[in-house]
Amino acid sequence: MINDDLALRDLSEVADAIAAGRITSVQATEACLARIAVWQPRINAFLRLNKEKALEQARAMDKELAAGKRRGPLHGVPMAHKDMYYRAGEISTGGSAIRRNWVAPVTSTVLQKLDAAGVVELGFLNMAEFAAGPTGHNVHHGHCRNPWDDKRVTGGSSSGSGASVAARMVYGALGSDTGGSIRLPASACGVVGMKATYGRVSRAGAVARSWTLDHVGPLTRTVRDNARMRAAIAGHDPYDSTTSEKPVPDYEALLDGGISGLKIGLALPNDGPAPLDAGIGAAVQAAADTLGRLGARVSAVTLPDFTALYRSAEVMVKCEAAAMHRPWMEKTPELYANQVRTRMEAGFFIPATQYIDALRLRALFVQEFLATSMAGVDAIVLPAIPFPIPTLEETDTEEKGGPAVLKMVAGFTGLTRPFNTLGVPALSVPCGFDGNGAPIGLQLVGRPFDEALLYRVGHAYQGATDFHTRVPT
Amino acid sequence: MDDKTRLAAGIAKQLQDLSYDDKRLAEIAAEVEVLNDAVRKAANQRLTFDDDPAAFASVLAKEAK
Repeated sequence: MINDDLALRDLSEVADAIAAGRITSVQATEACLARIAVWQPRINAFLRLNKEKALEQARAMDKELAAGKRRGPLHGVPMAHKDMYYRAGEISTGGSAIRRNWVAPVTSTVLQKLDAAGVVELGFLNMAEFAAGPTGHNVHHGHCRNPWDDKRVTGGSSSGSGASVAARMVYGALGSDTGGSIRLPASACGVVGMKATYGRVSRAGAVARSWTLDHVGPLTRTVRDNARMRAAIAGHDPYDSTTSEKPVPDYEALLDGGISGLKIGLALPNDGPAPLDAGIGAAVQAAADTLGRLGARVSAVTLPDFTALYRSAEVMVKCEAAAMHRPWMEKTPELYANQVRTRMEAGFFIPATQYIDALRLRALFVQEFLATSMAGVDAIVLPAIPFPIPTLEETDTEEKGGPAVLKMVAGFTGLTRPFNTLGVPALSVPCGFDGNGAPIGLQLVGRPFDEALLYRVGHAYQGATDFHTRVPT
Repeated sequence: MDDKTRLAAGIAKQLQDLSYDDKRLAEIAAEVEVLNDAVRKAANQRLTFDDDPAAFASVLAKEAK
């Protein structure tokens, strides 16, 4: 019981309790392990659990603290991460069969940063094969299941990250986002997930889905936790030339500024790849009303027609994925799930000129978006997923397939993928529950490198609501 | 086999050294047509000679808050 109480606390609360000596890192780690023992058989969030190593790390963190050394605001906190962040000398599957026993030669920059911050690593988490799928299905390692209803999807591709944080198995987890893969599981599992500005966090040592669209980021229970974890991983990295040299703000220190006078645009688009469900729209409208009561000035905004932008993103992903996967697609195509392999094949047939034009268009798309939808507002709020969370069976492209299933799966990323192409920051926070009892996510989108403002809005919203405090049973 | 599928078959065999059956080639040809048309149309409407792919990172930095 004591263990469960500890596991239910937020990352920041636990980190501060460890720092103050009220609890130990070993106690926090044991609390997570107890929770994992109960939830793993139900939801299959972990691919590998390193129990002894985690306890050893926790003991080392406690010893350092006792000697007066605190590495930072994450010292001694247990986490686990999507199984695509390399740890030198350890298996890293990328959710695939192809790399089932592959051992990473290097440690990713983000794991090095979390190591330096004193984070305890419980293991690695389930994910869509090679980060290519928005639902959480995985035919090689078993599907990850939503803690709120194990018949429903978690969202993907960071399925285990969303599920494990929601089930209070870990205090935080790294995910990655190429078309929504942090925000979709955050939304479907009722946790907080942010894809920051492209270039804010290093991708070095992480499995790529698309070099030009991939974003690394945390999933947590609260916005404060997310801000704290973000600060530990953000910043320039000489091993990733696309990272920005802009200084990293103290996101947590900027949380409490309030949102009075901020201008928030509300978008309820009904013309994307999937129509907007009335219940989801109502939950997002209610969230906007809450922001209004907190002092924000909310007005309706219209998003541009994202069709060309969406197709350009598909060209980038397919061409880059086909190039990087070609050796395996030629030699061992049978080791891929059919839908993962076939989604890349068009990349072999798209002319290079089209790929280059898609890249050239990107700067113009951003300028257009900032000059139109974002003109006169500080942030935009919209749904993360436009429909209630479906079941695993309803979205099983491998076993069931067919146009209706493929259309539903494609609809997942209709409101998330555009912001990967635009490179702007986007945050998902829980804002309600659908008719089946599954969570709904409110997506907040900001200007380039304005993560601090999104965190401030999300934090104010969580101060006025309790959706993030509810726990699946 | 229509012209576009025949073209896809040629690309697969002659340029990429890949093998697909006719049904799959027809699916790929249809998918590529949609993507190419969308990008070409957007490019025709927006791009000029001087537009550089690397401008994306510069725009993010310039527009940064």
